[in-house]
Amino acid sequence: MTTALIAEDEAILAQTLANALHRLWPDLRIVATVGNGVAAVQETLALRPDIVFFDIKMPGKSGLDAAHELADEWPDGAPFPLIVFVTAYDQYALEAFEHAAADYVLKPVNDARLAKTVERLRARIEQGRTQAPAPDRPRDGELERAVAQLRSLLPAQHVPAEKLTIIRAAVGNQIRMIPIDEVVYLEATDKYVNVVTADSESLIRTSLRDLIPQLDGTRFWQIHRSYVVNVKRIDSAVRDDAGKLSLKLRGRGETLPVSRVFAHLFKQM
Amino acid sequence: MMSSDVSKRPGPASATGAPQENSGFWPMFRRHAALAMLFNFACVIFSTFVLSGGKYFFRNFVFSMCIGTAAWLFIDLGRYLLWRGATPPKPKFFLLVVAVAPAAYYVGIVAGALLLGFPLAKVLPSSSTATLGSIVFTLTASMIGGWIFWNRSELAELKAKSAEQQARTAAIEKQAMQAQLQLLQTQIEPHMLFNTLANLQGLIALDPARAQDMLDHLIRYLRATLASSRAERTTLEHEFALLDAYLGLMAVRMGARLAYTLNLPDDLRAHRLPPMLLQPLIENAIKHGLEPKIDGGRIDVSAARAGACLALTVADTGLGIDDHGMALDSQPGTQVGLANIRERLQALYGDAAGFTLVPNNPCGAMARLTLPLES
Repeated sequence: MTTALIAEDEAILAQTLANALHRLWPDLRIVATVGNGVAAVQETLALRPDIVFFDIKMPGKSGLDAAHELADEWPDGAPFPLIVFVTAYDQYALEAFEHAAADYVLKPVNDARLAKTVERLRARIEQGRTQAPAPDRPRDGELERAVAQLRSLLPAQHVPAEKLTIIRAAVGNQIRMIPIDEVVYLEATDKYVNVVTADSESLIRTSLRDLIPQLDGTRFWQIHRSYVVNVKRIDSAVRDDAGKLSLKLRGRGETLPVSRVFAHLFKQM
Repeated sequence: MMSSDVSKRPGPASATGAPQENSGFWPMFRRHAALAMLFNFACVIFSTFVLSGGKYFFRNFVFSMCIGTAAWLFIDLGRYLLWRGATPPKPKFFLLVVAVAPAAYYVGIVAGALLLGFPLAKVLPSSSTATLGSIVFTLTASMIGGWIFWNRSELAELKAKSAEQQARTAAIEKQAMQAQLQLLQTQIEPHMLFNTLANLQGLIALDPARAQDMLDHLIRYLRATLASSRAERTTLEHEFALLDAYLGLMAVRMGARLAYTLNLPDDLRAHRLPPMLLQPLIENAIKHGLEPKIDGGRIDVSAARAGACLALTVADTGLGIDDHGMALDSQPGTQVGLANIRERLQALYGDAAGFTLVPNNPCGAMARLTLPLES
């Protein structure tokens, strides 16, 4: 039996989607309904449903961030769930979804529209079951597909008129001026960004999301939801036994994890 | 012994609407007459004391007045017949002045002779040189008079145009600001509307009674929002009803994740204020404080007297703000919203109103508006 998980913070909408799915796909079993992004990742990892319906705007973690995390945390060999995004009116999101050929459901839910999505999902589940290339790794292509979709859903790189050359960071009662070239990597922490150089760390009060557009995309690469790295400071990319990539750095001892969504940056030439 | 002159104004202003020219034909006629007489008198002085060595004042006076008045009447009449209310082209206007000057001279001379009882033969200069001299004098005086009045009216016209331009700029600015305010006020976020409709759609199947209740909230919210967006002033009672409808909608959507109270003392119900000052603060509290928080929280809205001020407070227990007043959620947009509120307050009240956003205890944020109390 095919299983699904619904992540939606508004209880009435979660129930409505569950009911609509029940009408259109009686065999589909909803194994869990969760109300935030953190629980969405946890429960999906624990229950491994075939399909997840992720609301885009959720407390704790957005549907997109939850999908990124899922792609990173997903255990090797297990079939990756089909991801369907759920969103209310949002012109930008809709264009992005169309562009990435991602599955999505609009709120309010329209039965005819949802029926088409259900049809597509059924076909893909069926295909995964009958045409699995290797019996032990069915639907492995789903993860690749999801990663490709998530990558094309990343905000487009635009070139700001002026690139950031100096980062001003408050340390105690002084402002440290950090030339951008000296930065080894930037790390998103709870509410701040940690600016790491060869011999120092300073917190600045901004989000990584706001900082990224101010950086030169050829010199600074985002490699993870939480990390942007200075390309010149990358020593090597290492793949571990579980197939996960991490970076060794010049001038710093720690290694940085690379998200699956960004792993394409480290393919050999 | 001659003199003369003219008045005249190249006529503008009834067309351009200069304020000083708006007073109708007769006041304008009288004003021109007064100016013409003044100019005529200057010509009398000139012809008596410069040309006639101080003699024949009375005679000069009568003839100058007659010729001057004739010139003025001819020019004003000619201008009116040729161009009506419009401003004549400058060369054509002076051509008119040149053309009517000889006629004005003869008419004036004849009129003066009749007034003083002089035989016409005696006053009409015998030699053609003398006649030519007198006509040239009349012509020169007419030109000078015409030039003076032309410049005068041009100046008036420029002033009128500049005043008009200023008035238009001010009106455009006011309109733009009003349009912007109305836009801000009627901003019902599509995301919010569609999410609400999605909930309604769900409730109709799940719980028709609650669906009815939610629809009532939605209708009240939309009606109050539209009414507010059209009004320049509203009452606290009306604003609180709007907030109640909005929070009621959000409470259905967020379920146990949102609790709220509204506290409006009876004696402040009728207090007047501009619409949509509180609404953005509530929306911020929901959007940046409670919606992104997994456990949600509560919003408490209150109005109170604080000395000579009206204090409006929106306190939430959401994600809160840092010590720079920045929202701690990951969504963009608070700073723009807060700047808008401050700009509106500044435009409406100058320095008499205040706005602060501080951390709430033990968590969340508290926005506080202070407005002058109105009787």
